[in-house]
Amino acid sequence: MPSALALRQVEDRVAPAGPAAPNRPDWIDAAVLAGTTAIADGPLSAAAGAIDRGAYPLDLLGRLGETGALAVHLDRHGARFGLAVAAMQAASRACGATGFLMWCHAVCGLYLEQSGNPALTGARLDDHAAGRRFGGTALSNPMKAFAGIEPILLRARRVTGGYRVSGMLPWVSHIGPGQYCGAIAGVVGPGDTIGHEIMFLLACDRAELRPCPHFSGMEGTSTWGLRLDNLFVGEDDLIADPARPFIGRIRGAFILLQCGMGLGVAEGSLADMGAVEETLGHVNQFLDDRPDTIAAELAELRARVMQLAETPYESSNDYLIDVLDARAQVSELALRASQSALLHQGARGYLMSAAPQRRIREAHFVAIVTPALKHLRWEMARLSRETLPAATDGGRA
Amino acid sequence: MSRPEPTDGLGPWQQFLCRACGLIYDEGEGDPDSGLPPGTRFARIPEDWACPICGVTKSDFEPYRRRAPVAPVPVALGPQRRPGAVIVGGGISGWSVAAAIRAADGQVPITLVTACDGSLYHKPELSVALGRGLGPEALRRETGIAAAARLGLRLMAETVAVGLAPARHSLRTTRGPLSYTHLVLAHGARPALPAGLDPALCWRVNDLAAWSSLHAELARGSRTVAVIGAGMVGCELAEDLARAGHAVTLVGAGALPLPELLPEPAGRRLRAGLEGVGVTYRGPSLVSGLSRRADGRIALALSDGTSLAAATVIAATGLATPSRLVRGAGLAFDRGIVVDPATLRTSGPDIFALGDCISLDGRPCRFIEPIARQAEVIAHTILDREHPGYAHAAPVIRLKTRSAPIALHGTPVAGLPWHVVEESPHRLAMEQRQGGDVTAWLAA
Repeated sequence: MPSALALRQVEDRVAPAGPAAPNRPDWIDAAVLAGTTAIADGPLSAAAGAIDRGAYPLDLLGRLGETGALAVHLDRHGARFGLAVAAMQAASRACGATGFLMWCHAVCGLYLEQSGNPALTGARLDDHAAGRRFGGTALSNPMKAFAGIEPILLRARRVTGGYRVSGMLPWVSHIGPGQYCGAIAGVVGPGDTIGHEIMFLLACDRAELRPCPHFSGMEGTSTWGLRLDNLFVGEDDLIADPARPFIGRIRGAFILLQCGMGLGVAEGSLADMGAVEETLGHVNQFLDDRPDTIAAELAELRARVMQLAETPYESSNDYLIDVLDARAQVSELALRASQSALLHQGARGYLMSAAPQRRIREAHFVAIVTPALKHLRWEMARLSRETLPAATDGGRA
Repeated sequence: MSRPEPTDGLGPWQQFLCRACGLIYDEGEGDPDSGLPPGTRFARIPEDWACPICGVTKSDFEPYRRRAPVAPVPVALGPQRRPGAVIVGGGISGWSVAAAIRAADGQVPITLVTACDGSLYHKPELSVALGRGLGPEALRRETGIAAAARLGLRLMAETVAVGLAPARHSLRTTRGPLSYTHLVLAHGARPALPAGLDPALCWRVNDLAAWSSLHAELARGSRTVAVIGAGMVGCELAEDLARAGHAVTLVGAGALPLPELLPEPAGRRLRAGLEGVGVTYRGPSLVSGLSRRADGRIALALSDGTSLAAATVIAATGLATPSRLVRGAGLAFDRGIVVDPATLRTSGPDIFALGDCISLDGRPCRFIEPIARQAEVIAHTILDREHPGYAHAAPVIRLKTRSAPIALHGTPVAGLPWHVVEESPHRLAMEQRQGGDVTAWLAA
């Protein structure tokens, strides 16, 4: 089993990273968390309702970038995945949509850095990590495609000096004019079959952004349809070619980072329950999933996530199942906690301005965003099966 | 608008699936909101039309064909208000515990979680079925659904247990979390494949599903088969395959089969018996790698630098207990789930284990005979009934090689000398002694 360290060494040999940004002295763990918490408890809490209805909080994301919350998971800033998850949890406690945007931004930074492409790892990554420029991820479809759940939507043709990519992605978040996202296209070979896939950084200004239908919540995530028409992808844009080994390497880290979102939604729900305990505790004692139950499970689950965050690039099957299991439990817990919080608050939690009803929709999002709860379970079942010879013609006698 | 009947001679209305969001465009219904009246053939839709849900264009649609419906998973037979006993594993161990609990208590809720379909079969038959001409249907004694109905339990088939929180009495599965009052781990062991053996190129026979797939491959006619590993399962399978008409090579790590268990005279008889039914024994030899040859056969690279080829390769290289679930829950594990030898309790509260997945004093015990007694003990403890406890006794080991049947009694110790008690062309009897006592004996 190759260790994360071994993988890094290979990566370094293949493509030395550009001049690494000096570690910001003020991005020590306690300061990152304190800075994030201050933003979460202050302006982000105040803006959560507006973000839910459609305000895209780029200003707050910029401030979160200044604290280091969008950078600390990167190798150049110490690969502090546990801290990155904790920061996303702190923000999601105030606003699930912003926690999701932080995740989109964080994995985009991961793509840039892990690409080893000098055109993507220099000033561009520094700007991204510090929250001076913004970009997200368009990997929902290819992740499902790699798991055998649906076909891949973007198609690439090889041309001189690169590829031409066409197709349409229905909903991609944390993008907009001047922004960018990581994307994957299947390279169409002879007979219209897909031989391999490429991963590239897609500049939104070179694609058509199409408005999406309204979602029931988290409308401030700047989610668009993306249409690519014969877009040229050259070497400077390439994150990985072929894409599958790259995705295999970062998959655990990609999924693990999402846990911050759901942990935060659950923690926010716990606070909602606590807020009415004094006044309604005498009747709330008859509810399921009381605060102590949720708090105990949250503590246990968070500890497990933090343990897994110590080795985000581990490649064993058992580790990946552990990550998928934790991510699935995060979804289940966020759903139960938010449901219970609304029942604890009663009518006041049902007001359109109230946090509990918003958190219920945020928890639903945690459970349906790729990898959705059902995909996680599908994948754990797949990874648990033994590989056996294909039950076809096993060769000549 | 009402749905018209097709009159254009192009047959029934077709449906087309949006690959992005799953919307189905039905020609009979059209898309009136986008100006496509009911009865608009897909081919006649303008190229700039967009999916009304997600906005992708016409080229991202594909003809929609209904998938085969997913077979419903059997569900609870009645309301289950108490969590009850949850059993992980649908082999002999899991079903034995379920039967033992139900025999003593008709009410307690039981949930059985199994990664397979839960069919009941007798596992030892898997290594003698080919020679007897038996197929999967003959080996399946009862379907999981029928057994679940008979025992009044909830069967969760094709479901994997992925996480365990002992303090909260919660088991996470690929079909959602389950609460339990008592948990019984009976998930068995899995084939341990040495590094270098590509799992996609060699079969392992440890359950009915895998055996059934192998059976299907072998059913096409006589083939060359290589069996890697000359332990009990390898020897039994080799003979069974030979009896079924296949050309079998058995690759063993020693000069004789079963070198760790059998003294040399017994090993020689076993080898001669196997060769008598047509098995070619090759050893001492280790397989260092497998590869697919151009003709479709599989090449086995041997450690002595030679190689051999076979159409079908089976690895019988031992078993190992999966540890992820129990280690993740903080339960003691030592080559198997550590259990108390008398109560079969694990180190976790209200969690028991039996069968192939446990270890007693650091030793796994992967035989059928103790399972029923283990199940009885666990059932009684769960139901709070008196029971003298489990007393482990080394089971008689019977090698089901009809060409040279061998029975081993007592506790054979590798390396300890064996003494011949009787040796004739028809019978071999030997024993091991420690301090004047006979501690193991065999008859071949």
